[in-house]
Amino acid sequence: MILDTRYLILRLGQAILVLLLAFTAAFILLSLIPGDGVTARFADPALGLSNDQIAEIREATGADDSWWSRYVLSLTGFLTGDFGYSVQTGAAVSTIIAAALPSTAVLAASGFVTALVLAVIIAVFATFGPSTGPTARVRLVLDSVPSLFISIPVFWLGILLIQVFSFQLGVVSVVDPGPAEALVLPTLTVAVPLSAPIAQVLIRSITEVQASGFVKVTTAKGASELWILVHTVARNAVLPGLTIIGLVFGELVAGAVVTETVFGRNGIGLITAQAVTHRDNPILLAVVVIATFGYVIINLAVDLLYPVIDVRLRTKPSSASAGRALRIHDEPARRALTASAASVGVDLDWNDETKEKNS
Amino acid sequence: MTDRLSVSASLTQRRLDRRSVLSLGLGFGTLLTLSACTPHDSGSLAEGEPVRGGVLTYFEPQTWTLLYPPSVGFYPNGGIMNNISARLLWQDPKTLELHPWLATELPETNADSTTYTFTIREGVTYSDGSPLTPENVAKNFDLFGRGDEARTLPVSEQISNYERSEVLDEHRVRFHFSAPSPGFAQATSTMNAGLLADSTLDLDAAGFGPGGATQIHTCGPFHITAETIGTKLSVRAREDYDWAPPHLKHQGRAHLDGIDYLTNNEYSVRIGAVLSGQADGVRDVQAPDESRVTEQGLRLYAKATNGINNSINFRFRHDLLAEIDVRRALIAAIDRQEIVDKLFTPNYPLATGLLAKGAMGYVDQSGSWDFDPDKANRLLDEAGWSERNGQGYRVKDGKPLALTVNIALPQPRSNEVQTLIQQQLRRVGVRLSINPGDQSKQTLDALELDTVQIYHSMVARADFDNLRSNYSSRNRDVFLNGADRPDADDDSIDAKVDELLETLASESNQEKRQKAAEAVQNYLVDQAYVLPFFEEPQVFAFRRRVHGFATEPVGRPDFYSTWLAGEK
Repeated sequence: MILDTRYLILRLGQAILVLLLAFTAAFILLSLIPGDGVTARFADPALGLSNDQIAEIREATGADDSWWSRYVLSLTGFLTGDFGYSVQTGAAVSTIIAAALPSTAVLAASGFVTALVLAVIIAVFATFGPSTGPTARVRLVLDSVPSLFISIPVFWLGILLIQVFSFQLGVVSVVDPGPAEALVLPTLTVAVPLSAPIAQVLIRSITEVQASGFVKVTTAKGASELWILVHTVARNAVLPGLTIIGLVFGELVAGAVVTETVFGRNGIGLITAQAVTHRDNPILLAVVVIATFGYVIINLAVDLLYPVIDVRLRTKPSSASAGRALRIHDEPARRALTASAASVGVDLDWNDETKEKNS
Repeated sequence: MTDRLSVSASLTQRRLDRRSVLSLGLGFGTLLTLSACTPHDSGSLAEGEPVRGGVLTYFEPQTWTLLYPPSVGFYPNGGIMNNISARLLWQDPKTLELHPWLATELPETNADSTTYTFTIREGVTYSDGSPLTPENVAKNFDLFGRGDEARTLPVSEQISNYERSEVLDEHRVRFHFSAPSPGFAQATSTMNAGLLADSTLDLDAAGFGPGGATQIHTCGPFHITAETIGTKLSVRAREDYDWAPPHLKHQGRAHLDGIDYLTNNEYSVRIGAVLSGQADGVRDVQAPDESRVTEQGLRLYAKATNGINNSINFRFRHDLLAEIDVRRALIAAIDRQEIVDKLFTPNYPLATGLLAKGAMGYVDQSGSWDFDPDKANRLLDEAGWSERNGQGYRVKDGKPLALTVNIALPQPRSNEVQTLIQQQLRRVGVRLSINPGDQSKQTLDALELDTVQIYHSMVARADFDNLRSNYSSRNRDVFLNGADRPDADDDSIDAKVDELLETLASESNQEKRQKAAEAVQNYLVDQAYVLPFFEEPQVFAFRRRVHGFATEPVGRPDFYSTWLAGEK
């Protein structure tokens, strides 16, 4: 059975709980920040409003209500699809988000796919081929590419790409680009740092799987390196990569903030940056909920993909959890899972079979 | 042994290699950026006959937030509103004289400036087709003069004592004020009094915000046709525009077909787009880049804003600043010339008064703020701040002489200015902290005397009322000097400031207003309440093909007579 319905329902329930908790945490944190959007906007001396006038506006906008009643108000609003109004501009948050979301979604998707392609190329060439001779140097260089990529500041890369490809070479216009033209440089900007952790995990897990016994057996039987990579190693090595893909989604959101600001793309990242400077809590709340939603969905999809990719993770009627389905001889997969779990700070507790075996 | 040595040598070699490759890569990229040598603009600078056509692309650092006229003091808003709206009167940016625009003549006023009667021009229509009528004008000023808190539409800071409007007949409208309001005629000429169609006047704050721009109907030379939230706003010329200020030579339709206002928060992208010829113009060229812009052959405009100079205000109600000698010492310790020379260009002239030379009410006060660190030390010693603590800062009764200044984010290089002042004050043993944070935090912190004691700011309006807008406790209140403030129960308030400003606000005669304005400035200088730095310009860069660029009196772009060479 590839998909366990009970498991799915359980995970969906968890997802809703995570959403609610994220909303509450964001709300509390935003309320704790001294000063609010209404004061920030209307107490600005540039408007020259008197204290009484500001008080009237605060009254009219409900800024002085207790945090609890504001919480209930915005929570019910969110549940009914009403995100409220931007404090800074007065525009409906749903309008602002609706204008920004498609552009971010496109950027996220293209950036993500590019990062994946980049990561796979780096990982394959860093692990493929003889470990001596001239190719070894290539492997060595490629092996260090992820550390380089992860240290490149996103804003620097974005500005550099614009300087070279737009201002110097004139290939891409920043003023009035076509939809595809507008996407090329931002996609690269997002993809480069994003590809680094994926490539890194892939390199490690490919190396580990290559070292395991069954690969040696296959090699001994005369299979070529490429055949082994495609047929034997890939499937086993992809699981940790899948886990990390779910996790880097957060980085994608963070990268979008910088990328969209540099490229002047109106997306979730840009409105987040603006909302932060204006203490525009309704927008920030909506962004937090949307980002959490995306994160939860991606990770849910990743979890559900595990059993599709790895037969050993499919639940059997006798065993409820995936971990127990692993037998002792699945050591590499188990190690890979432990490694990927450890990378997110989870210490996988295998059942006692190993210990029994060891003792 | 040698083997091992050579192995370790080659290891360090390799490590060095990798690191140097890395730094080479990053360094090379940065070099490439720095040496960016964009093609030189070699268009003709000669002014010919204006040609019609073409869309101007113009970069703003921030996206516009609200097109409600009283709130368009924010530059990105004003840059749009100034071009889409028409006003009752027109103020000459050079002479600052008022001329008729949508009013057929200057308003009739009574002796004490409590009523104003305007005769409205005929044949003017809004971009939604509705006509300009006295009723509509009355409705406009009822909103601007009173505000509507329920719709979070604030009152205009430029219109004071507004009482009501009265439509006299088919052409005339009269405004009544509860007290003299001599600044009203000028107020009707600013973009903060840009007239709106009836349908637009019914909008709430959300309607004036992003997402609804195309619903905003005005009667200026351009009207909004398209909007991409957060990145772009397009305005196009109105073919039927035939009500330019009669004072202007250029009449009828604007030369340009339209303007695309683009937003990008990243400075290097904005300036790069103009230098590389992808965009036509950009606002807010920073001082260090001015030479780059001119070297590339572009047009650089530094437009005076004709208002209060970029200054710091000493909040005398704070204990540490209560003594006039301490304030005088701070002024003597600050080298204004060094600030202007080190951080700015000749486009930022050293202030010779609280107001810019071109501002209404200007009085020359140069010589009031001489740099004299010896005098500063002497004054501080005499004021009882003679002891120093371990760090070299002055202390009195165990309390250090430590003050905090805000960062005026909209003002040019405020942080750098304050850092320089920090060093200068350090030399006389005064500790200056710079209040960190973004715009909202600066706004909120500046409202607290305990958080910010020295307030850096600037405001521009081409009228005597500018002084009141800035210093009065009822408006911007730079000194936090309001009697109604919660922390005001001590007797540290200086009622004289508001008193002098009220006199200025109620004088209706031009000569008397000048006298009153001088009285205010002299008092503020005598009390050492303010230290002005420089006359703040708005700096624009345009490609050579852009001709006839102008600004209104406080430096907002006015594209009505702008034209593009090379268009048919």
